[in-house]
Amino acid sequence: MQSADASSPSSTSIPYNHQLYNYAVVRQFAVMTVVWGIVGMLVGVIIAAQLVWPDLNFNQPWLSFGRLRPLHTNAVIFAFGGCALFSSSFYVVQRTCQVRLFSDTLASIVFWGWQLVIVLAAITLPLGFTSSKEYAELEWPIDILITIVWVLYAIVFFGTIMKRKTSHIYVANWFFAAFIITVAVLHIINSAEIPVTLFKSYSVYSGAVDAMVQWWYGHNAVGFYLTAGFLGIMYYFVPKQAGRPVYSYRLSIVHFWALIAIYIWAGPHHLHYTALPAWAQNLGMVMSLILLAPSWGGMINGIMTLSGAWHKLRDDPVLRFLIVSLSFYGMSTFEGPMMAIKAVNAMSHYTDWTIGHVHSGALGWVAMVSIGAIYHLIPVLFGKRGMYSVALINLHFWLSTIGTVLYITSMWVNGIIQGLMWRAYNSDGTLTYSFVESVSASYPGYVVRLCGGFIFFSGMLIMAFNVWKTTRLPTVASEEV
Amino acid sequence: MLNNPLAYLFSPGRQWQLVADSSLNSLRTSVLYVFLFAALPCIAWYHGTTEIGWRVGDGDLVRLTPDSAIKLVVAFYCAIVAALGGIGLTIHWMAGTYGSITSFTRGFAIAAYGATPLFIAGIFGFYPLLWLDLTLGIVAVSWAVYLLYTGLPIVMNIPQERGFLYASAVIAVCLVFLMAMMGATVILWDMGLMPEFTD
Repeated sequence: MQSADASSPSSTSIPYNHQLYNYAVVRQFAVMTVVWGIVGMLVGVIIAAQLVWPDLNFNQPWLSFGRLRPLHTNAVIFAFGGCALFSSSFYVVQRTCQVRLFSDTLASIVFWGWQLVIVLAAITLPLGFTSSKEYAELEWPIDILITIVWVLYAIVFFGTIMKRKTSHIYVANWFFAAFIITVAVLHIINSAEIPVTLFKSYSVYSGAVDAMVQWWYGHNAVGFYLTAGFLGIMYYFVPKQAGRPVYSYRLSIVHFWALIAIYIWAGPHHLHYTALPAWAQNLGMVMSLILLAPSWGGMINGIMTLSGAWHKLRDDPVLRFLIVSLSFYGMSTFEGPMMAIKAVNAMSHYTDWTIGHVHSGALGWVAMVSIGAIYHLIPVLFGKRGMYSVALINLHFWLSTIGTVLYITSMWVNGIIQGLMWRAYNSDGTLTYSFVESVSASYPGYVVRLCGGFIFFSGMLIMAFNVWKTTRLPTVASEEV
Repeated sequence: MLNNPLAYLFSPGRQWQLVADSSLNSLRTSVLYVFLFAALPCIAWYHGTTEIGWRVGDGDLVRLTPDSAIKLVVAFYCAIVAALGGIGLTIHWMAGTYGSITSFTRGFAIAAYGATPLFIAGIFGFYPLLWLDLTLGIVAVSWAVYLLYTGLPIVMNIPQERGFLYASAVIAVCLVFLMAMMGATVILWDMGLMPEFTD
C-alpha cells in the first residue's frame, strides 16, 4: 500500500531544516495553534463563568455574553482549528507528495493573512460589528480578505499535489482537498452580502431562504471544516503514530465519497419546526440519519488502525489522544443523527443539549485530534528527539478527557431538565414551570460546565509550557530526528 | 460472595478477582442481581416523585400522579435492564478484538456488577433533591467508571494497557447507549408516555 510507504518510520530521517520541505510555515501554524487554542478557550471559560456569575461582564458592552460568544466560536474554530488544519495539511501534503510546497511566498502570505483575519475578528467582534450570521459573523471587508487568503491556500495546496513525486494521492489529501474546495464554496455563497457602510452589510438573501443558506453553510462548516479537514489529520497522524498502515484503504475511499455526498444535505435539521418548508426539514432529517454510516466508517477505520498498537499505548499518550478523539467522534456522530430526528429535536432544540453535542465534537474530537497531531509535529518541526515531558502530555490527556466528560454530561443533564421543564404542563393546561425556574434549575449544570471547561483550558496551558520547553531542548543531528 | 454489592464498593480488586475465578454457572446469577437491584432505584423514584415531590428554586412543590409515575418507572426499569444487556453484549462482542475469549454471561456480569454504584445512588431518589441527586450521580458514575477500568482487565485476563483501551471503548459504547436512551425517552414522551403532574 502506498499509504504505508509514505508514512513509514524511515521517512522521518529527513533533517528538519533541510532543503526539501518547507517546515517554516508548518512550524508557525503549529505554534499559533497552541496560542489561539489558549485564547479561544479562555474566552470560552469567561463566558461559561458569566453564566454562573452574570455580573462578570462588569456592565461593559464589549465584555457582554452576546459579543464574546461569537469571539469564542470564531477563535476556537477558525483560529485554533484553522491553524491546526493549515499546519497539518501543509505538512502532510509535503510528506505524502514528497515535494516542497508549491510556493514559499504564497504559503507565507497565507500564514500572515490568516493571522490578520484572526486579529481583525478579535477587534471587530467585541466592538459589536457583526453580520449576524452564525459562524460567519465577520463583516464584509474581512470576508473578502478570507476569500483571498483561502484562494491562495488552495493554490499552494493543489499546486503541491500537482507537482508531487508519488504516483498516488494519499487519502488524507483527499479529505484536505474536499475541505478546501467546499469551504471556499460555502464561504462565498453564504457571505454574499450588500455593503451599506464599511462596517455594515446585509445578506443578499431574505427570510426562510437566508435561514436555509445560513444553515447549509453552518452545518457544512461542521461537516467539511470540522470533520473532513480533521479526518485528513486523522488519516495521516493515526497510522504514523501507531506505526501501522491504514486498516482499510478501500473503506477510507468509500466513506470519503459517502461523507461528501451526504453531508451537504443535512443542514435543514437546524431548522426543524420553523418557517422552512416541511419537505426540506424531512429531507434534512433523513440525510442526517444516513450520515451515521460514513461517519462511523471513518471512526472504525481509525480505531482498527490503532487497535494493533497495544504495546505502544502504555508510554505513548499521543496515541491515547488520538484514540479518545476517535471515540468522541463516534459518539457525537451518533448523537447528531439522533438529535436530527424531529421528535427528539422538538425537545433538544434550544436547550443546553445542543451545546453539549457541539462540545463533544469540538473538545472531544476536533481539539483532541489536533492536540495529538501537534504533539507529534513539534519535535519533528524543531528537530528534537521528542517532547520535553511525556508525563506532562499524559497529564494533559487526563485533563482534556475529564474536562470534556464533565462538560458534556453537565450539558446533557441541563438539556434534559430544560427540555422537560419547558414542555411540562398541568392537567388544566397551564405550564408547570416558568422559564426562569428552568434557568435556576440549570445553575448546578453551569457550575459543572465551568469546571469542565476550565480543566480542559488548564491542559492547554500545560501544553504551551511543554511546547516552549521542547523548543529549548538541544537540537539533535538531522539523521537522528 | 459474588452478589454482595457492598464488596464492589469497598474492595473492588478482590471482588473482580472473585468474578474472574467464578464459573459461568455462578456468573448467571448476575442476571438476578440486575433484576433485583435495578428495581431499587425504580421503587425509590416512584416513592420520591409521587409522595415527596420536588421543588425547583423557590417554586411550588411538584409531584407526579401515581398512574403516570408507575408507567414511567416501569419504562425506566426496562431501560436499565435492556441497556445493561446491550452493554454486556458489546463487551462480549469486542472481546475478540482485545485478545480475550469470553461469553455473553461474562460480559453481562461485568456490566451488571460495574453498575453497582448507580443502583446504590438511585436509592436516594427516595427523597428527590436536585443538587444532591446530581452530586451523587456524578460520584456514582465516576465510581462505576473506576470499577470498569479496574475490573475489565482482571475479569478478561488481559494486560493492563490493553484493558485500558478496551474499557475506553466500553465507555464510548455506554455513552452511545445513554444517548440512545435519551432519544428513546423523548420519542416515548411524544407517543403518550408523558408525565402528568399533580396540580
